[in-house]
Amino acid sequence: MNRILGYFLPVTLLIAVWWSIVVLFDIPHFILPAPDRVATVLFDRFTLISVHAATTALEIICGLFLGSIMGFTVACLIGDSKRLQSITMPTLIISQALPVFAIAPILMLWLGYGFASKLAMTTLIVFFPVTASTLSGFRALPASWDVTFQTLRPRRVKLFFYVRLPLAIPYTLSGVRVAASVAPIGAIVGEWVGSSSGLGYLMLHANARGQTDLMFAALVVLCSEALMIWSVTNRITLRFDKKYTANV
Amino acid sequence: MTKAIKEVQVNETVLSIDQLTLGFPGQDPLTTISWAIHRGQQIALLGKSGSGKSTLLNTIIQGSLSIQCQTQRVAYLSQQPALLPWVSVLDNVLLGFTLRGETIVSKHLELAHQLLEDVELCGFQYHKTSHLSGGERSRVALARALLEDADLLLLDEPFAALDRSTKIQMTKLCKKLFANKTVIMVTHDPRDALGWLDIAVVLTSRGLRGPFDLADFQNDHALIQALDGDL
Repeated sequence: MNRILGYFLPVTLLIAVWWSIVVLFDIPHFILPAPDRVATVLFDRFTLISVHAATTALEIICGLFLGSIMGFTVACLIGDSKRLQSITMPTLIISQALPVFAIAPILMLWLGYGFASKLAMTTLIVFFPVTASTLSGFRALPASWDVTFQTLRPRRVKLFFYVRLPLAIPYTLSGVRVAASVAPIGAIVGEWVGSSSGLGYLMLHANARGQTDLMFAALVVLCSEALMIWSVTNRITLRFDKKYTANV
Repeated sequence: MTKAIKEVQVNETVLSIDQLTLGFPGQDPLTTISWAIHRGQQIALLGKSGSGKSTLLNTIIQGSLSIQCQTQRVAYLSQQPALLPWVSVLDNVLLGFTLRGETIVSKHLELAHQLLEDVELCGFQYHKTSHLSGGERSRVALARALLEDADLLLLDEPFAALDRSTKIQMTKLCKKLFANKTVIMVTHDPRDALGWLDIAVVLTSRGLRGPFDLADFQNDHALIQALDGDL
């Protein structure tokens, strides 16, 4: 019951505040449409919005998956070598420091206006949090554990795959949860820069035609989509989190 | 006042330390020590917090030009039992074999089962360690150290996080299972080793003092004097 309240109470409050502002200040619908107007658009243009929502969802999910796999793999490749980390870290940081807005046009040029460029942008935005978190996981082995395992005279490869890698998994999953919340940015920016489908494209399209209610409807769907993707990611990752969290 | 006791017998030296300076990079050295540990000796290493007791154990494990360790078979137990939560108790006991890439044969399995029985964890073999209490986890780590059949056991306050009754139980187990082993046990509290270890050495900023009779440190005044290096 508390959980349901936790989800619906803030949403209900937000809608109430939104509605009150529209009514109290008599704001015209092309500046801020009332929630009922947005709901009507959502209902009337359900098919159109659904098609675009599906495109964006696919970009986010595929980007999240690919970025997580790539981030985890890169972290595994460099995680056991301080030298490799010092060589690759500047490149990794640059990949994150450059705003996606700045590199979006280049990616469009290279990968075209289709799905690939949006996937690349989402992957890029997801990649760094997952890599950085996994690397933190490799460094998080308590000193006394390290000493204990050293006395077992382990093979380096065995120690990495049997101990260090599984112990880093909760950190990776924490990175995936952070990445899931920022992944929609990559997809939407990509759609804004150039596309023929997706919620970002729909918002730009509606904006150009003064269809503010459709813009808001797309925004509402995007929020719901982002929330659902994060919730599912959170549920899946927490399940593995418990299994690999060490009692130190 | 504590009294120094003479070495009872001189056996084969397992570990010899010659003018080892303990400390951390960029900081003043904590102390410089020389020490020889003979096979079968079981010693409590006392000292104030920050005197370098754990650093000494870590240095012994990691090696140094000032240390000559006659064996590679060293086991280490700390406050944190270092158990992998995703594998069973039995797999944690056999972890050394797995990490060395050695094949686990029925002889090893039988021994592991026997050791788990010895540490009173019979029936826990297939439990996950995340479901065990602190005392049970310490006993799993004990069984793992025993399975390694180490010549030198380094214990860094292994019972510090346990309640008094569990500490007494663990001390009894150690006395029984570590008989004939060479043991160095770091502790703040000599009571943790009472009834098991007889000899104590004290690490101070002026070096290593002792050996002493551990029973002499049961008096708080004597302990404080000793820890302050005022012997």
